[in-house]
Formats: sequence, C-alpha cells, structure tokens
Amino acid sequence: MRNLTRSLSGRLSLWIVLFAVAIFIATLGYMYFVLQKAVRREAVNGATRELENTVLRVNVILEDVELLADNLEARIYKDLDNPDKMMEYSRDIVVNNSFLNGCSISFEPYFYPSKGKYYSCYSNNNGRTVYTQQEGNEQYQYFYLDWYLLPKLLHQPCWTEPYTDQEESDDATMDATMSVSYCKPLIGNDGSYVGTLSLDISLEWLSETISAVKAYPNSYSIVVSRGGTYLVHPDNHKLFYQTIFTSQLINPDPELWNLGQAMLAWDDGMQVIKVNGQSNFVFYKPLMTTGWSVGIVCPESDIFGGFHRLQNVVIAIVILGLLLMFVVFSRIIWQQLDPLRTLAIQARIIASGDFTAKLADTRRTDEIGVLSQSFNYMQESLVNYIQELTSTTAKKERIEGELQIARNIQMSLVPNVFPPFPDRKDIDLYAFMSPAKEVGGDLYEYFIQDDKLHFCIGDVSGKGVPASLFMAITLSQFRTLSHQGLPPSEVARQINDVISEKNDQLMFVTLFIGQLDLKTGRLEFCNCGHNPPILLKEKPEFMECLPNTPIGVCAGWAFEGQVLENIGSTPILLYTDGLNEAENSRHEELGNDRVLAILGQEPYTDAGALVQRLRKAVAAHVGTAEPSDDLTLLCLSLRR
Amino acid sequence: MKRQPLLLCAFALLLCASLPAQNRKAAPLVFTPQWTAQAQFAGYYVAKEKGFYDEEGVDVVITHPNVTQSAIDRIRADRSHATTLQLVQAMKIMDEGIPLVNLLQTSMNSAFEFISRREVNPVGQKGAKVAVWTGFTDMVKAVAQDLNMDCQWIPAASSVALFVAGAVDASAAMTYNEHYQIRQAGFILEETAIFRFGENGYNIQEDGLYVTRDYYNKHKDQADKFARASRRGWEYAATHPEEALDIVMAYVDRNHIATNRILQQLMLKEILKLQLDPDSGVRAFTLRPDMVQQACDLLLRCGIIRKPVTLTDLSR
Repeated sequence: MRNLTRSLSGRLSLWIVLFAVAIFIATLGYMYFVLQKAVRREAVNGATRELENTVLRVNVILEDVELLADNLEARIYKDLDNPDKMMEYSRDIVVNNSFLNGCSISFEPYFYPSKGKYYSCYSNNNGRTVYTQQEGNEQYQYFYLDWYLLPKLLHQPCWTEPYTDQEESDDATMDATMSVSYCKPLIGNDGSYVGTLSLDISLEWLSETISAVKAYPNSYSIVVSRGGTYLVHPDNHKLFYQTIFTSQLINPDPELWNLGQAMLAWDDGMQVIKVNGQSNFVFYKPLMTTGWSVGIVCPESDIFGGFHRLQNVVIAIVILGLLLMFVVFSRIIWQQLDPLRTLAIQARIIASGDFTAKLADTRRTDEIGVLSQSFNYMQESLVNYIQELTSTTAKKERIEGELQIARNIQMSLVPNVFPPFPDRKDIDLYAFMSPAKEVGGDLYEYFIQDDKLHFCIGDVSGKGVPASLFMAITLSQFRTLSHQGLPPSEVARQINDVISEKNDQLMFVTLFIGQLDLKTGRLEFCNCGHNPPILLKEKPEFMECLPNTPIGVCAGWAFEGQVLENIGSTPILLYTDGLNEAENSRHEELGNDRVLAILGQEPYTDAGALVQRLRKAVAAHVGTAEPSDDLTLLCLSLRR
Repeated sequence: MKRQPLLLCAFALLLCASLPAQNRKAAPLVFTPQWTAQAQFAGYYVAKEKGFYDEEGVDVVITHPNVTQSAIDRIRADRSHATTLQLVQAMKIMDEGIPLVNLLQTSMNSAFEFISRREVNPVGQKGAKVAVWTGFTDMVKAVAQDLNMDCQWIPAASSVALFVAGAVDASAAMTYNEHYQIRQAGFILEETAIFRFGENGYNIQEDGLYVTRDYYNKHKDQADKFARASRRGWEYAATHPEEALDIVMAYVDRNHIATNRILQQLMLKEILKLQLDPDSGVRAFTLRPDMVQQACDLLLRCGIIRKPVTLTDLSR
C-alpha cells in the first residue's frame, strides 16, 4: 500500500476508487433497502395467498363434515324416539362418505331405559369394511371422554384434540391412526342433554393437503390444535406428541411463545422466529371453526435467497469493477504523467550541471504541456543566467584581483618597515593600518627632515576605493607640502585648497598633521577635525586640540595650528575612529573611556608593544563581527 | 372403537378387560404401576434395567395397565403382585377389606393441586366446573369437602383437554403431570390460580409400593428384596437423572405413550423433589406417622373410610 500511495497515479486512482466506493455504497444501500422491502412485501403477499388457498381447500372438507353433521342431527331429532334407527344412521353416513373414519351417536346414561346405561351407536370404516356396534360398556364409559364432554359443556359444536383411533386388539396402538372428531351436542326439547353426535376423520388427509403447500423450496407447513399440539409438522418427533410450547418449558423462547399465543388466539398474521439459529418467516391463519391454526414456515434464506444472490453478484461486479477501475485509472494516469517523469529525470540531469541536456519535445497543450514548455523556458533562462553569472564572476574575480593589487599599492603607500629609523635612537615609532574592506580611507605618514619628524594621520569619509583614492591624493599632498618645511596649519590649508577645488564627490578627510623637533621636543601640530591624539602620561589623556574643520569641505578655509613646547618623553598615540568606534556584534562601541582604561592598564614600554596591545583589545571587542571601519594606529615617543 | 386421548387416558386405566394369563411357572414378581409408562415410575425402571432386581435375586416383570385392566384389578385377580398406590387409595382399599403392605414409600409430599383457568383461587369459585379424573378422586373430593368447596365435579378421562378448551373453570392436577401439560398448552399459570394441597395443610404422602398382606406373608423374602432393589433404583435415578430419563423414554417408546422427553424430564425432576422429606430434606422412603394419621383423620371425617387405618396396619 505504501508503494501504491507513493506514486501520484496510485494516490489519484485510490482517491477516485474510494470516491466511487462511497457512491456505490450509498446507491447499493438504498437499493438494498428498497428491494428488501419489496421482496418482503411480495413474500408476504405470496405466502398469504398460498395460505389462504390452503385454508380454503381444508375448509371445504371440514365444512363437508360439519354439513353432514347438521343433516344427520336433523334426522336424529326426527327419530329420537327410535333408538334402533340410530344404528342405521350411524352406519349409513360412514358407508356413504368414504372420507369419514367413523360416526358415533352416543346418549346420556339411561337415556333409553330399554338400552340400559350405555347406548353409543358407533360405525367405523377400517379401510376394508364398515362395522357398526354399540360400544358403550363398563370398560368403555364414553360419556367421560372429551369428544362427548366438550360439546356438552361448551353447549356448541366443536373439534376435539387429536387422538389415536385404534381397532380392538392387544397391539392396537401399532395400528393406530391419528384422528379428530367433529362433535355436536344433542339437546332435548326440554333443554336437557340428550347425547353427542361425533363424526371422525383421519388427520392423514390434513397432513397430506397441507404438507403439499410449498411456498419456497425449504418452507414447510404446520398446524397446531387448540392446545398447541402439532397436527402437522415435518418432524415426526413433534407430531401429535409436542406442542408449540413444549420446548419452552425448559428453554423459554419469547419469539416462539408469541407465535404460539398468536396462533392459539386464532390471529391472522406473520412473525419472524429463529429455528436452529436461522430466521424464519411464519405466516399463520386460523382454520374455520376447528380452533386450529395453519402456519407456513419460510426460511428467510429462501425468501431472500434470490435477492441475496443478486446482491452478492452485484457486490462482486462492483468490487471487480472498482479493481478494474483502479488498474485502468492507474495506467492512464501513469501514461499521462509520463512526460512529468521524463521532466523530473531531465531536471535532475540539469541540476547535476548539464545545462545543455535536451528536453523532451512535447506537443501537448494541457497543463503538462505548459509545464514542459515552462521548464524549457526555465532551462534556457538558467543557461543564460549561468552564462551571465560566469561572466559576472569573472569580472568580480578580476575586480577582486585589482582590489588586492590596489590594497597592496595602498599598503605600500604608507611606511610599513619597523623600526622606521634604525639609525636614530632618539625616536620610537610604530604604526599599523588595517582597512575594513580591501582598500580603506585611513592614512598615515611620517618622515624626518632636518631633525624634525613630520607625521600625519587621517581618515577619509566613506570607505572602499573612493576613500582609498582620496587617501592617496591627501597623502601625496602631505608629502609634497611637508617636504617644503611648511608649518602644519599651512600644510593643512594648502591641502584643503587643492582637494576642495575638484571635490565633486563632496568627500572630506580628517587629518592630524604634526612636526616634532627631535632635538627640543617641540611639537607643532594642526588637527583638522581628527580624533585628538592621546598623551600617554601616567594617566593617559586626550590632547587639547582646536576644533578645525576636516579637509576638503570648503576651499580657502584657514586652519589654526597649535604648539606644545616640549613633549619630553611622553608618548603620543594617534589613531582613527576605527579604534574608539570599533563595534561588536551588538553594535556597542569600544569608547574613549575604555581606550583610556586599556592604555592605563600597563606601563608604556615601546610603541610597537602598545600598538599590538591595542590591536588585540580591538579584536577582542569586535569578536566575530565584521570590522565596522578602517583602523589605523600610530604611536611615537622621544627617547631621552 | 377405542378412542384414546393423547393427553391423558385415566378413564381407560380404570376400566378392565381380560389380559392374557402370565406364565406362573417362573413365579416372577409381577409389578404393575398404577399408570402408563412415565417418569413417575422411573426408579422401578432403573432398578430393572440396571439389574438391581437381578442382583437381589428377584425376578421382576413390569407390566403396565391398559384399557382393559387397571393395576388394582390385576392385584385383585392375582395377575399382578405389586403396584403403586397413593396413601389414601391404599387406605380405602384396606377399608374395603383388602389388607395391603407398604413395602416402600417413595412420595414424601403431596403433588395434588387445583388449577383455575382464571387468575383466582380455584377453591373459592362458587359453582365452578372442576374437572377431575374418573379414578382416585378420593383425596381431591375429601379436601374439597373439608374446605366446603362449592363446585360441580366434571369427571373426565382428559381433564387437560377440557381445561384447554375452556369447557371447565378449573381442574384437579398433579404437579408433575397435568401441571406441565397445561403449561405445555400455552397457559401461564399464575400463583393465584393454583391451590397446592401440600402448601395448604394437606401435605399427605402419595405414591408407595404395595402388595397384599396375603402375598407378603407368603413371599416375604422376595417382597423385601423387591423393595430394597426398588429403593436402590430410585436412589440411582436421583443421582443419575439423565440416564434415568433415557430408561424412562425407552419404556415410553416401547409402550407408545403420547408424551415427550421434555415432559418426562420435568416429571422426573418434580417426582424426585417430592421424595424429599419436608422436615429433614432426605429421601426417607418411609411412611410418616403424622401424615398417615392426617390421611386417616381426613378420610374418616369425609366418610370415605369407616374405620381407622394405622401405620401398623400398613407396615410390614
């Protein structure tokens, strides 16, 4: 199943089939409900018709018996004074009606004084002959028997419960046949009871007539008497010896109990009962005046057999159809999605770097066709893009190469050999410059001319190439003007004039220019908007500087210089804002206070050590953050 | 014609005709219970079939009464030697001049009852038609007389048939027989519709095993063995009811009795229950002096016997 649902075709087919299943279930369920009701209705109608026909057939015979009894009764009353006539009547009716087993015209004890206590005129047809006799005697006191007593007590004709009708012999029970009697009371003119007229018939014909009813292949008929005794039943063990309630004496069965009560109550209807675990429909109807009830027991499997077979066939067809549908849909969807799979393979090839791979040509105009065309377009675009990217990358690499050269050039523009004046013991100087990008806008310079140390440090606005070019110009100007022996303020003024003249980009540079007389310790300087240097006294402090504007802002601007008459051996630290404004990843600056604190932590030994210490402090503060600005440090001191 | 109703054939049992003579050469003990083959006599069938009689060395032949001759008639005619009788039947027969010996008393309780078709006390229905058997009605009528019942007796061969058809208002019944036959016909018997003798001051023992005093005096050893083996048969039936039922059904089938296994199963269960002494709860198999006295008093009071019959008169 996982493999099945892994593919799109499998999933789509499964969804379609599941949807179809839902529709089929709803449709078949409704059909099942409606058809079952129809089949049930038809079964009820059919069985009821069959039952009515059976009852009619049985009633014809029973009515014949009752009609004969009525006729005979009239003749008995007519000749009631002639007891011997009764023998004749008894015999005639049996002889003339072969379906009668016997006829008894029995009288109350001593009704005919001449006949004594017993007078029962009985004729019997044993199948071979008809014999007639007076059967009452001390051993056979007929007036205690139910066939005699029932009409007497009920004051109306009635049918007896079944009994064995046997010939007089010791093994009589072996030849016994089951019979029932229709009994009529004989009432005298004074209302006194005269006797009972009884006509006997065998139950065999009843069993034959009713058993012949076959509403369904496995259906069978039953007849129960007024006392619930089975008069007709396919199971011989139950016939005559058991009632419909017998089994319930030890195993109560509410369904069977209700059926029995309904049949005994002479109801007309249908009930469903379980027989051996199988549902059976029992249709029942009373039998005329007998007090009996006829039932047809139809197994549900028979009634709904055809319907269930049809249902099973339909379900089988539906299942096969759904399976077929699944297979066909899977195949069709698989085929329809074939270009997609090809596309996927080609996409993988392209993704692996083969941008020239040829895409399958599809003429389809559907979504897959559009996707294929889009993919084609994407491939072309990708090829173009890659080509552009290649070109751009080459350009970038070239620029980067040039930038690296520019960096090397820029770094070579500033003095970077230390110690810078190996032949002079009176000056200790160390400088360091690190652009934030390939090239930067910081600068520094120093040289000795006429025992004077000329130096400067500056910071061009902005970064990168423009700043580096601006730095180179500034540096070049400084060198040229300083070598002319001009004082720092004049140097600053002239640089400013030169730069400001063609400064279309409105850039500027902060610059600190100094001249240190190595012999006297006199420092003349001009600070053009640059960070004030730090005097590394016992407690480091910023130099007092005049607030000149940076260079390049406006031509013709005058810069005011300053003088410290003798700095002695106090080291001076010059720096750009890459030091005090160095930012960490949280954009926290190192700050002037902390710079001063770092400087005051350890006593000054030499310029190189100090610069390296500051570099480490800055690196520790910045951490993994990108350098926010160029960093330049220059430290100098006179050795005495 | 002899029309034998299926539900009951009491009438036929009390009417007699001749029976082929038994072979007297073997001198067996012929035992004829008072009714057709049914679970009421299960212990005797079990004793016979399990060989308990043979083990005692007594040759017992079991015959049943039929439409031609009742059990007591066979005793009178010396064609049977032993039978079962209710205690009051035995007393009445003794009062009529035939001394009997009670070999074994199986019943310890009364099984008589009146059942009403309506949910009312059957004893209290004035003028009600009450179906009774055509024989052994002494106990029923004695109790009715003692209770001043105002009813019309309808003697019938099949009281159940009349009851079911609605021809009578009530019927006399045995708790082990007609009671279940009526229920088998679909009747729900409410307690209010049943008057049980045993629960209303007339708990008098019924079935016992009897021989004539004359026979007992002549065949004392054989009779004692017969009684001993019969008791063993009943005790076996009580502990093996299913096997006993199988034996009963074999007798039922052999005698073509219109009954069924379920009725016989219920009958056996009830019969075995009735054999428990109401005080001790054990199968005593003896006549209780108090019940003998009560039966005697009742029969005397109702004029059914003329002189007392004592436990001594009945005992071996």
